[in-house]
Amino acid sequence: MKRLLLASIMVVAAASIASGQASRTAAPSAKSYATPKTPWGDPDLQGIWTSDDCIGTGMNRAANLGDKLYFTEQEIAQREATIARQSETDRQEFANPDARIGTGPPSHWAERARRPCRQTSLVVEPANGRTPDLTADARARRIPEGAGNNNPKADSPEDFSFYIRCISRGVTGSIFPVIYGNGQQIVQSPGFVTILQEMVHEARVIPLDGRPRSGSNVRSYMGDARGRWEGTTLVVETTNFLPNRTGIGLNGGGTPTSDALKLTEKFTRIGTNEMKYEVLVEDSKTYVAPFKVAFPLTMEPGYQNFEYACHEGNNAMFNSLSGARAQEAAQEKK
Amino acid sequence: MRKTFAIAVAVTVLLAAVPVWAHHAFSAEFDANKPVKMRATVKKMDWINPHAWIHVEVKDPATGKVTPWMIEAAAPNALLRRGWTKQSLLPGVEILIEGFQAKDGANRANGSIITFVDGKKLFVGSSGDQETPR
Repeated sequence: MKRLLLASIMVVAAASIASGQASRTAAPSAKSYATPKTPWGDPDLQGIWTSDDCIGTGMNRAANLGDKLYFTEQEIAQREATIARQSETDRQEFANPDARIGTGPPSHWAERARRPCRQTSLVVEPANGRTPDLTADARARRIPEGAGNNNPKADSPEDFSFYIRCISRGVTGSIFPVIYGNGQQIVQSPGFVTILQEMVHEARVIPLDGRPRSGSNVRSYMGDARGRWEGTTLVVETTNFLPNRTGIGLNGGGTPTSDALKLTEKFTRIGTNEMKYEVLVEDSKTYVAPFKVAFPLTMEPGYQNFEYACHEGNNAMFNSLSGARAQEAAQEKK
Repeated sequence: MRKTFAIAVAVTVLLAAVPVWAHHAFSAEFDANKPVKMRATVKKMDWINPHAWIHVEVKDPATGKVTPWMIEAAAPNALLRRGWTKQSLLPGVEILIEGFQAKDGANRANGSIITFVDGKKLFVGSSGDQETPR
């Protein structure tokens, strides 16, 4: 019986790997698109883009999916049906009388994907769709509270992540799709591209004129970016990051990166309202190998970036600290 | 075998459905052992990031005593993209709130379910339903 079970597992695993390999190459067909030009002749990427369509897609692929990067057309159809049902539920005028309160974010907080994300994970390389192992040095780094580490025990604001503190989500954390606030406004001028990122309100000013990089002693949360055009693709290389600030996880969570971090991003407009985004992450002090994350950005009718003053109303910080003190007091009484 | 496969599928579906966390951890602020349910009158709404807060008053029907509460709501930008304006929830409106109280025992709660008193949802629609799949 055990042999039969093992044989069955091997057959299913082989079939799964085979279908995974087939699906890995089943990317949406590339359409020919003539990228519009700015008045000064650069490819025009301007507009307000959002990564909403991959909300809910995890950074790392579930291990049982192996190398399967893309969902099948049948799975995509199922996901389209799920989105349609969700939209119908969202639009219902009356609350479901059977609704129960829960400890997750209420559904009315969430922004929604408008169409299914075709990918099974945000990580697209290596082939298993999972971030490479951490180095020994990185494993020893402290992960701040929140954004990847939801332990409520905290002694001071500095124990919280830079996201929770309204300081920064880092470059990747500011564009990776999360529950809300995924707006990316691209504004171009001769020699510069600026990206205004909605949540926590970063403004990345990217020179295109080939100027030399800042010295290695000049470092920041968002690094020092330099851009160039490769055909119609905007390529942005960013270095000079401060170490131990944000990670490559959603909202900048996870293990903080090091001063060796280099990001190479590619923005390619593939349609009037569609952009392909990818970022190669290289940080030999944090990950044992480079990896690549990719997902689509879209422009949606009526979508706007709104102002995001964060510190003034960050009641979560006060509430979390007072909650931690209340927890301590309760434990002392026991 | 079928059971193993079923579990694997269930785990995959579960992973796909897990929401990406919001600006803060529920467990840091609110106490899952302190559910609250109240009928309240809106005093004002703070349109602040990272989350809006609804200030309400709760009247004890037995004593008439009025107690102020603060209820956490969605991110203002998400509300604006749903078509909300400053006129959407005016002072004096009565609402029903269910959620969990703050861990420090203060009169603050997350608004897990918020409706008008007739059961109509406050937050109808989502910012993602304006467009059909492309």
